Amino acid sequence: MEEAHPTSTAEVAEVLGDATSRGLTVVARGRGTKQGWGMPPTSADLVVDLSGLARVLDHQAGDLIVDTQAGALLSDVQDVVGTERQRLVLEETVPGTTVGGALATNTSGPQRMFFGTARDLLIGVTVVRADGVVAKAGGRVVKNVAGYDLGKLVIGSYGTLAVITEAVFRLHPLPDVERWVVTPVDGPGRAHELAQAVVHSQAVPWAVEVDLPASGPGTLGVLLGGKAEGVADRAETVRRLLGDAAEVTDTTPPGWAAYPAGPVLLKLTFALSGLRDVLTAAREAGVHVRGSAGAGVVHAAADDAGALDALRAVCARHGGSVVVVDAPDDVKQAVDVWGPVPALDLMRRVKDQFDPEHRLAPGRFVGGI
Amino acid sequence: MPGMPGVDAVTQRARELIPPEGVITDVARLRTYECDGLSHYRVVPALVVIPEDAAQLAGVVGACAEHGVPFVARGSGTGLSGGALPHAEGVLVVTSKMRTITAVRPDDQRAVVEPGVINLDVTRAATPHGYYYAPDPSSQQICSIGGNVAENSGGAHCLKYGFTTNHVLGAEFVSPQGDVVQLGGIAPDTPGYDLLGAVVGSEGTLGIVTSATVRLVRLPEEVRTILVGFASTDQAGAAVSAIIAAGIVPAAIEMMDALAIEAAEAAVHCNYPDGAGAVLVIELDGAAVEVAAEYDEVERLCNDNGAFEQRLATDPADRALIWKGRKSAFAAVGRISPDYIVQDGVIPRTALPEVLKAIAELSGTSGVRVANVFHAGDGNLHPLVLFDESKDGEAEAAEEVSGAILDLCIEHGGSITGEHGVGMDKARYMPRMYDEADLDTMQLVRCAFDPDGISNPGKVFPTPRLCGEVPGRHKGAHPLQEAGLAEVF
Amino acid sequence: MTDLGETGAIVDFGAPVEGGAFDEHRPPDAALVGDCVHCGFCLPTCPTYILWGEEMDSPRGRIYLMKEGLEGAPMTDAMVSHWDACLGCMACVTACPSGVQYDTLIEQTRAQVERHHDRSAGDRALRGLIFALFPHPKRLRLLRGPLRLLQRTGLDRAMRRTGLLDRMAPQLAAMERLAPRLGRPEPLPELIPATGERRATIGLLTGCVQSAFFPGVNSATARVLRAEGCDVVVPPAQGCCGALSVHNGREAEAQGFARRLVDSFEDRGVEWIVVNAAGCGSTMKEYAELLADEPAYADRARAFADRVRDVSEILDELGPVAPRHPLEMTIAYHDACHLAHAQGVRAEPRRLLEAIPGLELREIAEGEICCGSAGIYNVLNPEPARELGDRKAANIVATGAQLLVTANPGCLMQVASAIDRSGHPMGMAHTVEVLDASITGRPAATLMP
Repeated sequence: MEEAHPTSTAEVAEVLGDATSRGLTVVARGRGTKQGWGMPPTSADLVVDLSGLARVLDHQAGDLIVDTQAGALLSDVQDVVGTERQRLVLEETVPGTTVGGALATNTSGPQRMFFGTARDLLIGVTVVRADGVVAKAGGRVVKNVAGYDLGKLVIGSYGTLAVITEAVFRLHPLPDVERWVVTPVDGPGRAHELAQAVVHSQAVPWAVEVDLPASGPGTLGVLLGGKAEGVADRAETVRRLLGDAAEVTDTTPPGWAAYPAGPVLLKLTFALSGLRDVLTAAREAGVHVRGSAGAGVVHAAADDAGALDALRAVCARHGGSVVVVDAPDDVKQAVDVWGPVPALDLMRRVKDQFDPEHRLAPGRFVGGI
Repeated sequence: MPGMPGVDAVTQRARELIPPEGVITDVARLRTYECDGLSHYRVVPALVVIPEDAAQLAGVVGACAEHGVPFVARGSGTGLSGGALPHAEGVLVVTSKMRTITAVRPDDQRAVVEPGVINLDVTRAATPHGYYYAPDPSSQQICSIGGNVAENSGGAHCLKYGFTTNHVLGAEFVSPQGDVVQLGGIAPDTPGYDLLGAVVGSEGTLGIVTSATVRLVRLPEEVRTILVGFASTDQAGAAVSAIIAAGIVPAAIEMMDALAIEAAEAAVHCNYPDGAGAVLVIELDGAAVEVAAEYDEVERLCNDNGAFEQRLATDPADRALIWKGRKSAFAAVGRISPDYIVQDGVIPRTALPEVLKAIAELSGTSGVRVANVFHAGDGNLHPLVLFDESKDGEAEAAEEVSGAILDLCIEHGGSITGEHGVGMDKARYMPRMYDEADLDTMQLVRCAFDPDGISNPGKVFPTPRLCGEVPGRHKGAHPLQEAGLAEVF
Repeated sequence: MTDLGETGAIVDFGAPVEGGAFDEHRPPDAALVGDCVHCGFCLPTCPTYILWGEEMDSPRGRIYLMKEGLEGAPMTDAMVSHWDACLGCMACVTACPSGVQYDTLIEQTRAQVERHHDRSAGDRALRGLIFALFPHPKRLRLLRGPLRLLQRTGLDRAMRRTGLLDRMAPQLAAMERLAPRLGRPEPLPELIPATGERRATIGLLTGCVQSAFFPGVNSATARVLRAEGCDVVVPPAQGCCGALSVHNGREAEAQGFARRLVDSFEDRGVEWIVVNAAGCGSTMKEYAELLADEPAYADRARAFADRVRDVSEILDELGPVAPRHPLEMTIAYHDACHLAHAQGVRAEPRRLLEAIPGLELREIAEGEICCGSAGIYNVLNPEPARELGDRKAANIVATGAQLLVTANPGCLMQVASAIDRSGHPMGMAHTVEVLDASITGRPAATLMP
């Protein structure tokens, strides 16, 4: 296996152009924090290491945007924009991740409930195609409907369509204060009721997180941010909704914005009204669940993939899915990592157009793409 | 129609599928569909079909695919870029009879609607449950969700809440082959490529959405709408910057200049401040205490920047009137000028003063009047370039000014369209914003979805890509290429 | 680039193109057609677009058909069917941000249609009968009486043949059930002097349908005006105002009615001519345009039109002097299209009603949408009218109000039958009848069926 260490989009283009002429299969890598996610590529002749594209290129505070190379650490981006009291609301759910890595795997944290995910924040993208052609889409303004939104296609594509080299994001102001309202919950039923109460309140919650271990009580945590007076009032509203055991705190609760730890990491999605059923199924399967009760996306940590079918059934009943995000190779080989994928035929056609020779991370993505 | 055997075959199929009133071949009727909201582009379609459900629609599209007949989708026909301009030898597929709100699911914060459902009707259906549909194009009282999805429509409240693409989570979609495909769903993050993300805003060039699952947003506890009068757009612009810099994200900040105010006043008597050189419509929403705090700060920042009048809407009717002035502004310009071009460009917000000055200079040197209406919060300009078609040379001069404004937007790192779409009107500007490789790459998506190029051909891209032409595998010239109608990148 | 066919700006056309749908006598005004910027804001207010979702049956589409006609397209059955389907409710005029005068355009078009379009024998017979009946209060009154009176006139056979009676019978029956029973009304004297100090002298239009089917409304109008300090003059020679004729393209007939009405109110010393039927009022306010080409009448018609007021306008303007007695009831106020859209009168009736102690006013959802009455539309186009009526009835019933109040006899008849079908009968009254009850101190129950 070869490695390349380009430091610019042009160099990435050169590397991929060269790989094209040599017919090499290629896997892109940032800091390698999620290299094991998805199916293992069936072939990887060349690893393109993007850690040399680590610069935050331009922060326009007045326009609330930042332009960064894909290999930049997410934390570096936050440091740069933080100097102007701004932030990129893309939470670092996997420590040490790069911008490109977060985009390629579409990771998201608690605040997706209010601020959305990468697809809602990315406004411009530069990619290098498998054939070495550099292409960009979007731009440096938040509002822009000129041309196809290629950014959305590459988000969550696990490096199978093109290599992301540069990204422009919209930013948000840093809140003056943040408050968490946290309450213990004894099980799925209570977690569901309280989550629904907060989700449908007018307190403008930024996150509603459930954390339910395999057994025993868990917690429901609600994040509120903004101006001091407003947050205090909203936090009080939420505290009343959550009941006597709820506490208001200004310290981040333990495990906040981190995926639960375990050999097998599953991502479960479902319509909000399915929370109770999903949590109940998780409990029956003995897996630890943590994630956004407000968005209908939680992660589960398990020792093995034994609960996969049962969880898939319940999530599917609520319009969602279960993906095996990370697991030991032998587990991945034994199960259907991605689960049923609608519109797979169209996806294959997209792949065929972007990477007709199937040289980018072959086999890593859905349906063997 | 004589000489169009493909269309004849599609017509026959359509008659089998759709009730008679939904298959239109009479030329007088066809002509009423020859343009959308951008009426200076006109093409009489060979056939208009108005299906009543997805199966009928898919059947017609399937017949189009079978016979190689182009098709164009149309909702309410309010688009401002000619995106629904028919094809002379093609079928216009109108979704205005598909207007069922299939489900309102407040517990899941979702609604499922057919494409012909009017934008505002989604909010009307959700309001009793304490919810609404956030994207609010100025034409929300008539524009359809299908059209919104095609154009990735924006609106005043997109500053805080995002655009159509942020609010459509699933779709039933008819591919240009006539296949019905499910994209996304009621739950987020469907595994696989985000094809829905590509379809939303693709202006009908990838297929037709026959059902959309949209996000419903909780109605805010408090809404405050403030109308602020300034002597100049410079002052108003400075106030906008100050508000954003203070870390406040209002639901909306809209600006109108003196000429636009005059038009709106004439049309809807919206009672904007007398003698204002610019007004801002600022809306704050959210939890009551927070809105109150933000309101105090916004009021102070406006005063600091020279506001001479601030009026807080006192009741829903007052609020509606303030918004009516803004939302009627485009059509209202018809009251002060016989003809006009609605431009739609985007600039980084901080470039606002500079670009406004340049527009004023353009207007001064050319003698073409320009009224300015814009979403100031996100730098989306809607200059209205006024002219009189009946006077020699005015149309050309207006067209020139309009184009120069787009150049200004591109120069400042902005976009040629923020919400109206590229459509027919701006395809020729695409190469100014994107290079050949960018456009070629976008068209890879087109080739994946619509290799035969029958779904709304001629829109968005100035030159169609010939699909299947993989580098190094050329099989000789494509007929289109030979005819000089297309080129291979 | 593939060939997309003809593109270009809308051409500026002056006189209608030879061979096109229209002749040179008042074709749809090209400049007014040109005012339409094709924004589509009218579509959601148009009853037929709401029903069918077709461009040709929207104001924007109908204007486009006029444009086609001006540009040389012949007048076809298809074209005419879409203009015929227009209710003339003018909700689009209210909605239009560009100020397109669709009302003028459709009237101009309809007059051309009547001249140039060959209608089917059945359609002609039905229309002929309607215009032999409606503008004539005495003939209309026969419809209220026992059938044998009708048979004696010979009208009955014609009515059966055209199906007119079948179409009207359910409405007449519903109206009889739901309209307020005020006892047998006496014919109004020629002069009704003001109670107390005289504040204005008013001429009252008694109307055709109003006087035949709702004579109580005229009596109530006279009583309220008298109580509010008005001398009320009722010229006995007055006839039809011509509204139905105008709205159906029967221009010459309409002009005849208009001349007669102008004559009958002239030299009677009235400051205002007050109307209690929305459709009549809106037409009379436009007499200047209707008689513009007649030198002997043009100026007189303008002076007449300037003095026309809806009864709610005049009462609102004068302000109350007669004390109001409480009416403990909930009412839903239905905007008649020809009052709200054509005359812009919305606030005045609401203010008058809300000023009555104890009375609660409720708004009707989709208030701007026509009930489907639209003059004689419900007779000519029973199916869409019925659908619209049912839609309106559902919205009215949903208010939970005890009484429906509106200011047009056509609306009352149409909504009465729709409400009746809905199975949720409720009382119905004209605005002035409610005011009359309050001023005279009659209990709310007298307004109920």
